[in-house]
Amino acid sequence: MRNRRAGLIAVAAATFVTALCVTATSLGNAGSAKGPVTITFWQQKFEDYQQAWFKKYVTAFNKSQNKVVVKYYVVPADVWTQKLKAAQAAGNQPDVATTSYGNIAAGVADGEFTQLDGLMPKSDFTDIKPNVRGFVTIKGKHYAYPMLVEPSTVLYYRKDLVKAAGLDPSKPPTTWAQLIAWAKKLTTPKVKGMTIASTAGDLGWSSWGLQYNACGHLPVNPDWSKGWASSPCYTKLLQFYKDLFQGGLIPQQPKVGYADATPYGNGEVAMMACGSWAIGQLKQDFPKMIAKTAVAEFPSWDGNPKRTTATLGGWTLTLDSKSKNKQAAASFIHYLLAGDPKIMASFFQASGYSKYTVRASVDKALLSDPKANKDPFMKIISAKIVPYGRHEPGYPWDIAFAMGTAIESAMKNNASIDSALKTANDSINRTIQTQGLAGTGNGN
Amino acid sequence: MAKEATGLIERASPRMVARRRATARAQRRLSDSTLTAYLMIAPMVGLLAVFVLWPLVYAVWLSGHRISFYQPSVWVGTQFYHFVLTDPRFWHSLRIGIGYAAMVVPTQMVLALLLASLIKAVSGPMAAVLKTTVYVPAVISSVVASVVFVFIYQDAGLANWVIGLLGMKPVAWLNDPSTALPAIAAPGVWLGFGIATLILLAAMLDIPQSYYESAALDGAGWFRTMRYITIPLLKNVFLFLFVTGFTLTVQEFQLPLIMTGGGPVDDTNTPNLFIFNSFRDGTPYATSFSLAASLLLFVVLGAISLIVFKLVRSTKAVDG
Amino acid sequence: MTSRRFAVNAFSNAFALLICLTILFPLAWMAMAGFKGRTEVLRTPFQFFPDTWNPHNYSAILHDHQFMRAMTVTFIGAVLFTIGSLFVNSLAAYAFARLDFPFKTFWWVVCITPMFVPAMAILLTSFQVVTKLHMLNTMTVLVLPGIASSLQMFFLRQFYLNYPSSVEEAALIDGANRWQIFLRIYLPQSKAPFVVVGTGSFLAFWNSYVWPVLTITNPDLTQIMQVLGNFRSDRGNDWGMLMAGSTIAALPTIILLLIFQRYIVKGVRIAGMK
Repeated sequence: MRNRRAGLIAVAAATFVTALCVTATSLGNAGSAKGPVTITFWQQKFEDYQQAWFKKYVTAFNKSQNKVVVKYYVVPADVWTQKLKAAQAAGNQPDVATTSYGNIAAGVADGEFTQLDGLMPKSDFTDIKPNVRGFVTIKGKHYAYPMLVEPSTVLYYRKDLVKAAGLDPSKPPTTWAQLIAWAKKLTTPKVKGMTIASTAGDLGWSSWGLQYNACGHLPVNPDWSKGWASSPCYTKLLQFYKDLFQGGLIPQQPKVGYADATPYGNGEVAMMACGSWAIGQLKQDFPKMIAKTAVAEFPSWDGNPKRTTATLGGWTLTLDSKSKNKQAAASFIHYLLAGDPKIMASFFQASGYSKYTVRASVDKALLSDPKANKDPFMKIISAKIVPYGRHEPGYPWDIAFAMGTAIESAMKNNASIDSALKTANDSINRTIQTQGLAGTGNGN
Repeated sequence: MAKEATGLIERASPRMVARRRATARAQRRLSDSTLTAYLMIAPMVGLLAVFVLWPLVYAVWLSGHRISFYQPSVWVGTQFYHFVLTDPRFWHSLRIGIGYAAMVVPTQMVLALLLASLIKAVSGPMAAVLKTTVYVPAVISSVVASVVFVFIYQDAGLANWVIGLLGMKPVAWLNDPSTALPAIAAPGVWLGFGIATLILLAAMLDIPQSYYESAALDGAGWFRTMRYITIPLLKNVFLFLFVTGFTLTVQEFQLPLIMTGGGPVDDTNTPNLFIFNSFRDGTPYATSFSLAASLLLFVVLGAISLIVFKLVRSTKAVDG
Repeated sequence: MTSRRFAVNAFSNAFALLICLTILFPLAWMAMAGFKGRTEVLRTPFQFFPDTWNPHNYSAILHDHQFMRAMTVTFIGAVLFTIGSLFVNSLAAYAFARLDFPFKTFWWVVCITPMFVPAMAILLTSFQVVTKLHMLNTMTVLVLPGIASSLQMFFLRQFYLNYPSSVEEAALIDGANRWQIFLRIYLPQSKAPFVVVGTGSFLAFWNSYVWPVLTITNPDLTQIMQVLGNFRSDRGNDWGMLMAGSTIAALPTIILLLIFQRYIVKGVRIAGMK
């Protein structure tokens, strides 16, 4: 009798948890009657003020009408792809999600996004500035609504240190050679002259603008059928990075990635290459640095200010092609990004004017904002960088990474510049072949 | 409860006849023992089947496709395995992973052995403090550990200060191909040696004190005792630590991700970091490629462990 | 003789203390960094103590309902997880160590193979499984999938394998069945190995990040690592809060270990001697 009981107890205990789960699950599933349509919205986590802004306006949208309820969820950037892909595999992906410009083409090719024409008023699309419209348009149809652009490369420098080194802060360097000369003069035992990306992962995307600058094109031909990485024009690009690193002009063991402006904010470097978003970070975390800082367009190899030095990265909202409530989801995108210009204007205010609008009407709304007019950084970036900025390439990351690896190899003396470029080119051709890219290019 | 068990034994011992009869009964019950055994492994097998093995089988099936969740997935057979196996960066990452494990696991085991014997040697409150302390690094997330060690490796950091005392020039630890991997192995060891120490300690405490006493009578010193008594008796524990430590460390990716981003030029690009990065696009190609790569990593880990078991020929440890 | 023993003892104690301090240094730095401002943490040259002691981060976290709720929920989950996994795995470990049954090798391979499966390989498919089982946003999805652990079972089996069989034989003869033997003889003897692997399970649950992010969106079930993840961003981490949060999050495990370490005194019979 006792034997049996012991056995029974053990089996019961072993299945206890399982039983628990079934109960919990059936309880969790109750509910969902008629009423307003619920749509889900996933936002990749960015700076804190962005989360606050999204939360505020999602709540406002939910209150403004009674047909659609948006469930808003912030996803950490480091697991974004995993979470999204897992959700897609299981069929519970969000209706609306943040998508970067670079991922639109691939997503459309896979049929992930709904075409927004017809779901949103036509005037929403005519409001988008012409140079950005192409970023979200594939074969004449809009598959995403753009939110903002951020130039990936801006030159920041410390006016006080520049002056102390006997240089003129009103005349920032315009060529790569001048930049290196400045960095040399600004480097002291305690402060490095400059900081820029130095690992392949960061270089892969942050050097796109300079790749355009050096060659006028990216390391693959326009229809993506052939690698162009071994073009001799890239030699000077790799040499530039190499001089900065080998000359000890940039930190040899950076503590943070390219996108993080902390070392500059902490006064460890005198100049910084970083995206325009760094302005937001400096204003938020290092307000004392703002007065000492000036921005300029990043130098071009030959001093021509009209050559691209930055790609225009940025974010859009996309509507999932399997969404069951497309019209409701589109009405949310319209409300948040394309409707009342004041809503987006408040976003750019919150960002400390570190990001730039893609809509003519929001530009107008910002004109009446005295703070925006006074902001010294905004003027330079919108007048001298944004107009020459190019679209981020939509090709697979492997290609970008191959180029990033080539630059890193040259910087760290792992390979000669020529052989680094040759390796990158072979790798790009391999990617073209394995991923069947030939003929799918969008002209980058 | 333990007392009760001894009670059972005592009651059983007196009469031989009764005992023999009982043995016969016990043997008859052995046929029931199949059912018992199956019931005992059932919860584990069931859970593994649902949450690991079925997903694994399904993943293998998926890996034969160009995986899309929006269009019908195209069956491509072994194409993605071919892509992975012909990718030099995959092989390079495997070498890095194995090299990393080769640094971390033995260091961890030696350190753990030394610390365990130290804990055994000191007694009282200090032992309690040590037992807790060695485990403390394991509770720290690898993100925080990475930052601490990035500081240690700075140009004017602790590591350069120490080698400066020895009269050496400062080293760019994380950016020199010859030092980057060992530099990442250090926090790897630090994060993981606690549990190894506790396991070894628990095992060492099990070695009868009489062994050591007789060794001491023979005049054996600490080193000889270690070499001829402790280590041979802990063979199975070392095997356990080696196999599990190896499987876990080869799969490390947080530390290089944060400390070096896999650089300089892929020299700290561990297999899981390689897989993580190849998943970045989330395109059908990237999904299939990273899946195939991780399944190949599974094969490699399993095969190496199998070889280790075979080499050690510890049948006790391998089959039931 | 006694004075020499005393000297040796004093020396090893001093040495032990030194080792403790070395091991604890990074932890202490983390705790100190919790008193620093958001960006002061990353400042070079390295500084151990903060410029000004600023308790803001710690008090913010202690008053943060989300953080404290996540600590509680994660703690409950970790306890359930640890108990469940010790039970399930020790039961299987006992069967593999002590019983003979048909296809034993096959089942052994089935139970040990998962040890080599990289998380990435089954990330998508295991998520599909838990979705089909309607387990998303429940405590179950956090606890159940990881309970069966090859590693833990392997370890416990080594332990049971070396446990003297005479006790068991005697109990069998006396009419006890296998369940009784497991529950009354083996489990009570397993305290030390249970502490060793149980701490591992507790910690694995406590530190898991990707799985909760995938499966939990309900704020009531948010796990502690998800909350800590909120202080991170590739455009500037909130280091002060991250360090203070990590320090507080590390406390429960350290306290638990302080309580349970006394069971690691004797009796992990995995070494193979009788």
